[in-house]
Amino acid sequence: MKLSSLRLLDRTLSELQLTWAIRFLFGISIALIVALSYSYHTINRELVYYAGRVDHTQEVQITIQKIASSVFITDYHLKNYLLLGGEDSKNEARQQLKILPVFTDLLDSLVDDNLAQNKRAQTLRGELRAFSRTVDSLVTHALPIDQASQLLSLRVDTKQLNRINQTLHDMTSVEILLMENRIKSRDNYEQQVYRFNWVIMVVALLFLSSSFILLDRELRRNKMYRLELENKIQNLNRSNEELEQFAYVASHDLQEPLRKIRSFSDRIVSQHAPSLPQEVRYMLEKIDVSAKRMQLLIDNLLSFSRIVRTNYSPKLTNLNTILLEVKNNLSETIKEKEVKIKSQDLPTVAAYPMQMVQLFQNLISNSIKYSKDGQFPEIAINYRLAHGTDIPTVNPSHRELQFHLIEFIDNGIGFSPEYADKIFVIFQRLHGRDQYEGTGIGLAICRRVVSNHNGYLIAEGKEGKGAKFCLYLPLQPIFN
Amino acid sequence: MIDHSILMADDDADDRFLVQAAFEDNNIPYNVLFFEDGEQLLTHLKNKMNEVAPSFILLDLNMPKRDGRDVLKVLKADSRLRSIPIIIFSTSKAPDDVDSSYRLGANSYVVKPTSYEHLKDVILKISDFWLNTALTPS
Repeated sequence: MKLSSLRLLDRTLSELQLTWAIRFLFGISIALIVALSYSYHTINRELVYYAGRVDHTQEVQITIQKIASSVFITDYHLKNYLLLGGEDSKNEARQQLKILPVFTDLLDSLVDDNLAQNKRAQTLRGELRAFSRTVDSLVTHALPIDQASQLLSLRVDTKQLNRINQTLHDMTSVEILLMENRIKSRDNYEQQVYRFNWVIMVVALLFLSSSFILLDRELRRNKMYRLELENKIQNLNRSNEELEQFAYVASHDLQEPLRKIRSFSDRIVSQHAPSLPQEVRYMLEKIDVSAKRMQLLIDNLLSFSRIVRTNYSPKLTNLNTILLEVKNNLSETIKEKEVKIKSQDLPTVAAYPMQMVQLFQNLISNSIKYSKDGQFPEIAINYRLAHGTDIPTVNPSHRELQFHLIEFIDNGIGFSPEYADKIFVIFQRLHGRDQYEGTGIGLAICRRVVSNHNGYLIAEGKEGKGAKFCLYLPLQPIFN
Repeated sequence: MIDHSILMADDDADDRFLVQAAFEDNNIPYNVLFFEDGEQLLTHLKNKMNEVAPSFILLDLNMPKRDGRDVLKVLKADSRLRSIPIIIFSTSKAPDDVDSSYRLGANSYVVKPTSYEHLKDVILKISDFWLNTALTPS
């Protein structure tokens, strides 16, 4: 029952909820244990108190018994002396009288906390003193005493004895009553302590074991995720290897037949052109153009796949320098088309410099290529810091990171917003080849370069209103 | 008869045909001998050890039996064959292939052109350089 409900928990709770459930259970169990321990402690203290009281009562009773026996021993020796005479009995009686105050003092201190008993103890003290005096006077007078005074003395003695007896009896019965109550309380607390022990143990066990089960489940789930992840990494490595193999195949084996097609059709044209009909020459030209384009596509594919794997290590790269190099590379086009590039001061980042050149060059030449007719291309490059949450497609683990944001804004033909993602797909083009040449590799390479740096490249555009490319690079570089 | 000859080892019949055509179309009056793999080339060179050495050798890298790298190693290790200029003539543009070829002692590395016109031009330039421009051991 318990297990199945937990399993249900496990199925329906998300990882976060599970974590909170475990924390909650642990917290509750610790709080419960603390609370139970505290009340256990209180009860235990009561138990100890009542056990002490029981012992105390017993001590009082024992003292009362001692007084009683001492009184009766005195009385016994007194009567012996009066009836039979003899120095021994006289001395014994005197001896007992000396012990009596010790017991009465003890009793006084014992019943000090009980007002009623204390009063009785005082009464007893008075009675005992009177008794002592009587006994003392009887044994001090020289024997023999006449029978009448003897009887009188004995009567006084008996009266005193009865009174003492009564007081002692009163005190004893009160103490017995007290003891009964105290024993009852002690037993009650003893049982409670026993019960509490069990409750604490059961509750602690229950909560701890359920936390343990949840934790264990979590650990096992984690292990499963880890295995899954390892498996995925393995698959990824395998597919990377395959991609590299593919790159080799593309570079060598696919280009081989292509080269033959071009070479032979070329040779037909160069050697036999005069004797060929116009139509055949036209078709041979078409073969050549198609083959050339295929060559270009294969070359592009190769350069794209080469970016995936890089043997270089990242270096601190000043992006102003990169921009300068790119402007230099494109200087002829920039002069020819009268391109204006306005750039803010750019940061220095840890990056692959060659890839950064490729990225900047592709973005800038892209803006130049798609400029408006009859308008000089203008490119503004702005820089500021941005937060991970500013990026629309941000990876959850990058949410809290800081990013460099470099914006490339142009005044070109732009594009419709719905194509903002499509333009980054390899060989995807928004225009016919007659309008703009190219294979559609440039922006794909850009995005690849940016993801190599664990950054983001996001395009924003409006038809006819220019394009904006937002380049996000992490402030703290992450390279895997 | 012509004293000097040019050797070419390439497993691809089309390439051999195109290169031969390029030599003919350029009117280079040299005897070009073709081999289908490295083994054939080496056998030929060992048999003709006492005759006049070829002017240069065009060597493909990827061939069955003994490939270009292998042939290059054998030739550059042989004191008498070491002086023959060897031009690697391959489809591969891979930096690894280029580097390793030069390290093994290749005299130059040329990527096979993708069009016939370009091939014709390259063959003319190679021949002109190694036959007329550069001085080679006699």
